[in-house]
Amino acid sequence: MRFLAFALAVTLPFPALAQDRGPILTAMVDEHVLPGFAALSDATGTLTQAAQADCAATSPELRAAYHMAFDNWISVSHLRFGPSETDDRAFALAFWPDTKGFTPKALSGLIAAEDGAVETPEAFAETSIAGRGFFALEQMLYDPRFADQGSDTYRCALIQAIATDIDLNARAMDEDWESFATALTQPGGNSPYRSGDEAMQELYKALVTGLEFTGDTRLGRPMGTFDRPRPTRAEARRSDRSLRHVELSLIALRDLAAHLSADHPEIAFDLDGAFDKAITRAQALNDPTLAGVADPQGRFRVEALQQSINDIRAIASTELGPTLGISAGFNSLDGD
Amino acid sequence: MTRFFAATSALTLGIASAAVAADAPSKADVLNTYANIAEAKYDDSLIAAKTLQEAVNALIAEPSDATLNAARAAWVAARVPYQQTEVYRFGNAIVDDWEGKVNAWPLDEGLIDYVDANYGGPTDENEFAALNVIANPSFELSGETIDASEITPELLGETLHEADGIEANVATGYHAIEFLLWGQDMNGHGAGAGNRPYTDYVQGDDCTGGNCDRRAQYLNAATELLVSDLEWMAAQWAEGGEARAALSADETAGVTAILTGMGSLSYGEQAGERMRLGLMLNDPEEEHDCFSDNTHNSHYYDGLGVQNVYLGSYTRIDGTPVSGASLSDLVIASDPSLDAEMKVKLANTMQALGRLKSTAEAGFAYDQMLERGNEGGELLIMGGVDGLVDQTKTIERIVNALELDQIEFEGSDSLDNPDAVFQ
Repeated sequence: MRFLAFALAVTLPFPALAQDRGPILTAMVDEHVLPGFAALSDATGTLTQAAQADCAATSPELRAAYHMAFDNWISVSHLRFGPSETDDRAFALAFWPDTKGFTPKALSGLIAAEDGAVETPEAFAETSIAGRGFFALEQMLYDPRFADQGSDTYRCALIQAIATDIDLNARAMDEDWESFATALTQPGGNSPYRSGDEAMQELYKALVTGLEFTGDTRLGRPMGTFDRPRPTRAEARRSDRSLRHVELSLIALRDLAAHLSADHPEIAFDLDGAFDKAITRAQALNDPTLAGVADPQGRFRVEALQQSINDIRAIASTELGPTLGISAGFNSLDGD
Repeated sequence: MTRFFAATSALTLGIASAAVAADAPSKADVLNTYANIAEAKYDDSLIAAKTLQEAVNALIAEPSDATLNAARAAWVAARVPYQQTEVYRFGNAIVDDWEGKVNAWPLDEGLIDYVDANYGGPTDENEFAALNVIANPSFELSGETIDASEITPELLGETLHEADGIEANVATGYHAIEFLLWGQDMNGHGAGAGNRPYTDYVQGDDCTGGNCDRRAQYLNAATELLVSDLEWMAAQWAEGGEARAALSADETAGVTAILTGMGSLSYGEQAGERMRLGLMLNDPEEEHDCFSDNTHNSHYYDGLGVQNVYLGSYTRIDGTPVSGASLSDLVIASDPSLDAEMKVKLANTMQALGRLKSTAEAGFAYDQMLERGNEGGELLIMGGVDGLVDQTKTIERIVNALELDQIEFEGSDSLDNPDAVFQ
């Protein structure tokens, strides 16, 4: 009896005080995070080579490499912490939404001045994030207003500089993750995470922020209001990628959610079902630029997709978070 | 004898206060202090806005360099208490629903008055970016003809503000008034703020910029609206006011509201949207007070507001202290080392924001700091950003330590209902 009481005293506090987050954190890093950043840096390597080989905006190889690299970025873009935050890398890869038209302004500024910053990666990295990354490259490749602005030579150099800058940032993130992986899986000590709970909170936050961004920003911005839809606000619409980003992000977030809920099969089942519904709706939408928001029929279908994302968010915040014993904390979307 | 007695009582007092510190204050007392500070801050903002209104009236009655400068000084002073109220946003729905009227930013100022040719015309995002209501007594808005022959508070607040559902159409509040007092800052990354001449308000032949009568009407209406909006908010925090009542309805949710305001302002809003973004864009207009070059003060007093809410101690603009049981006391009772961590981080942030402020006051303006490749400027701004990000981490730890888990985050606009943030 005394032995039993002692044993209980030793074992009970563990599930109550501190769940062992180690295995889940390790699996998430090894299976979700690291492969994603490795794939991204491979794809951006191909992108910069394609830009060197042929910098014409209409080059099929360059455009294909752009799409491939952008796909890979969207699949890790919810991991906005650690190596993505260092040196503003994530911002420099993807500045959107651009509510005040900074990207065209930055590009026109560089072209009009024939700004020498394109000559070295170091100088280019000092320029405005609005003129760098995938959204700047998209405008250079697909927006007619840049097709003949300035000289061919300068436009070519600018496209190559943007591609190189994207590649350097992607590589730096991939390399930094080698050491940051340890910070996340072995919290305490020198890690910015004091405990396994804090490390889990970071990844849980990535899930809820990612869902919020896809539902409210990727879909919500072009939806506008019923009376005033805003189809021109759709993300990457110039290269027909708006809906694709919704789908890719949901696929990546589904994988993250599966890892987070690995110890709780019932919640994992609920989450997976909700993701399945949302992804099926996205795939059935057949509206690459979300232009359909402008007519009632199309809008209804986008609303249904948004609702299915809100359903996932509800499961995450009412079931997953409380069960894991972590709150969403603060994220970058908290401001106005 | 006297000396001995004094020493003993100091000792006893010390022990007594240590003992008190170990007992958690009631949440009701903490919330009461929080509400008292809100009441004092909004009341101070109102007092300062009335002083601004007097200065604006003097400018309109007798335009001169002296009256214009006095109005500008009154505007800068009015910002001191107001910025310290911003920590009440995000956690209190009543503040969030109202705040856009008084401090909306950034704005497409071409909506209001004349702008430089480089400003451009309507944009993809905003058809009305260059409407110039001061020059146009009548215009089309969403298919309707708007009669703007008389510029009234109603016209600004109900028709023009956020026209066409665009947030950048800011027709009211501090920043609209700021634009009317300073004009566009045409110095780019160079030194100097906006330089609107006082003659923009001179009636008759000496009027510059055209439509001086309508400009004066606009300034008058916008200032009147600011005063009445602040009057309303101050009343909500007074005894029996709605904001106060909402807090005490659920004490745990009330404490959560304090932390939500502190964290959301520190992280998403100030560190992200207002500081880091501008730096990454290298755009001289991406500063909070871009016409007056007063951004360093806006940042400083935002940070100070977070700190004084945590410590439960605010000094009013007439020097009167307002203090009481604080969130800090509540944290001490549950985890004293976490409270120490919070205090250190808040102090670090204030030191960094103080460095930004003192350097700007010494002549290195915020828009110069934003320039591409300006390493000193980047260090100053990132010092503030890093401090704010770091303190947010500890605010999250406090949320966990006080067991204010997310179920109780209902009632927080920015965390539980992120949709509200986008409206």
